[in-house]
Amino acid sequence: MSDTTPNPRARRRREPYRRPALGFIAPGVLLVAVLLYLPLVWTTFLSLTEYNGLGDPEWIGLENYVEMFDDPGFVGSVLNTLLWVAGTLLVPVGIGLGVALLTWNLKGGTWLRLPFLIPYALSGIGVGVIWSFILSGDGALDQALAAFGVDDTPRWLVDAPLNTVVMILATAWQGVGVNALLFTIGLQSIPREPLEAARMDGANGLRLFRSILWPMLRPLTAVVVGLSIVASLKTFDIVQGMTKGGPGRDSETLALTMYKETFVNSEYGLGSAIAVFLTVVTLLASILYLRQQLSSKHGV
Amino acid sequence: MPFKHTARVFRTAVLAVLGLVWLLPVYLLLVNAAKSPATFTTKESWLPTDFALFGNIAEALRLSGLAESAASTLLYAVVSPAIAVLVGAAAGFAIVALRLRHGFAWFVAIFGGTVFPLQMILLPLFDAYSRTGLFDTQAGMIIVYTAISIPFSAFVMRNFFSGIAHSVFEAAVIDGASTWRIFARVYLPMASSALVAIFILQATFIWNDFLLGLVLSQSDTVRPIVTSLAGMQSTYGGAQMSTVLAGGLLVSLPTVVLFLFTQKFFARGLALGQY
Repeated sequence: MSDTTPNPRARRRREPYRRPALGFIAPGVLLVAVLLYLPLVWTTFLSLTEYNGLGDPEWIGLENYVEMFDDPGFVGSVLNTLLWVAGTLLVPVGIGLGVALLTWNLKGGTWLRLPFLIPYALSGIGVGVIWSFILSGDGALDQALAAFGVDDTPRWLVDAPLNTVVMILATAWQGVGVNALLFTIGLQSIPREPLEAARMDGANGLRLFRSILWPMLRPLTAVVVGLSIVASLKTFDIVQGMTKGGPGRDSETLALTMYKETFVNSEYGLGSAIAVFLTVVTLLASILYLRQQLSSKHGV
Repeated sequence: MPFKHTARVFRTAVLAVLGLVWLLPVYLLLVNAAKSPATFTTKESWLPTDFALFGNIAEALRLSGLAESAASTLLYAVVSPAIAVLVGAAAGFAIVALRLRHGFAWFVAIFGGTVFPLQMILLPLFDAYSRTGLFDTQAGMIIVYTAISIPFSAFVMRNFFSGIAHSVFEAAVIDGASTWRIFARVYLPMASSALVAIFILQATFIWNDFLLGLVLSQSDTVRPIVTSLAGMQSTYGGAQMSTVLAGGLLVSLPTVVLFLFTQKFFARGLALGQY
């Protein structure tokens, strides 16, 4: 028998642990398949049906998607979500980078970074409880402004789109520290030689940042930006906690609209269509950072 | 160099001022969570009046079943990540050490479970849980938290095991060890730091979960703590704000403390995609 003919024994030699290997991987594959992939397929199917939980889903093709885009509430929700994406890139990622640069090689930097890290591990609802209190009418913020003679304050959580903006700022309060931490790790991993060389050449401040730091931080920035976009697309907890998407539907995000259509209005088909839409957008954004992530050499 | 010195002072000053601004909400939370319901008013938030923090926390634990929720959530946040870590490690072991054929495809299949939003699985889970009697049970919550923790766990463990020379495995085989024994006695102990890192990250994530708890549970004994806090805020947020704030403090304390003590783990995990 020639070497090229596959026979059981040769196969066995190449893959001597096939059975135990399948046994080791089976629990993970089964759990993920049953609890994540099966529901995923079912939601995709439901998005093409009319269904309210009673009886059987009725096939209606793409009607839910048409209905979705005809709904001004949904369009408003898309716009709010885009505001979230832009806002969380601008504020928490921006300030996070700023804090990382300011604390870089600074004596006591670890301590100066601490105040920004405290809010990070709070739940979205926890952040919501604190900020709802601060932003309530005549609440802590209004009192502080009144002390400076500003009496005519807006209704922070009522006026749209101001309510979305202040919720983004509350999220920024939570998120700056972690971005600062990530950028700090990035800065610490920059090799010394090019930095020293640039300093010898007299590069400082902005020039040092533009010519050395920024290019070297690029891979990490891609990850941070990607994570931030994906997280902001899924914004739910803090909005549900602070405004419930209101007043009316003024501060709804896509995740909230999906939740309301599904679990409040029992529009299972429509809710599923919104979930599919959100997923497609999230996947497109994920490609940004997954490419980076899967090829990265970071390890725990 | 005087210039450099000035720059340092300037940087420290900017950070200190900004840091103080960042601490203001924490200050407000502490001061107002400590006010007894009798002296609390929404119109005077900046100055402390009295110290009734422990009374408020006790009251918060009583309201909205926060005490029962806390116990259940602790169970979820310990059991689910523990199982997920082992399942993820087993998957990584199969792919890397046992060289499962098409290992990368298997890996992508498991890891892919984490890239889409939870909204995509909520309704079918709710539906299936209602039909199978898993709705509003602790077992149901543990199962779902375990499943969503597995992809990240498998991701990290595959990376970690890739760093172990295959000769370690071959040597153990020559010593006559079974694959199970090699996994449990050789690979798992070597990976303890990675296992702990995943565990901490996932425990924090589960403790802070709101959405799954909102959809898959309703009774005080099953509902996770953050979902209970949200319920408490909508029910008592008007009349008993200081109690709600004390509840918020109580719910937040475990993860904040855990995070501050284990920052390094978080930072590494975060760079890997847990946000």
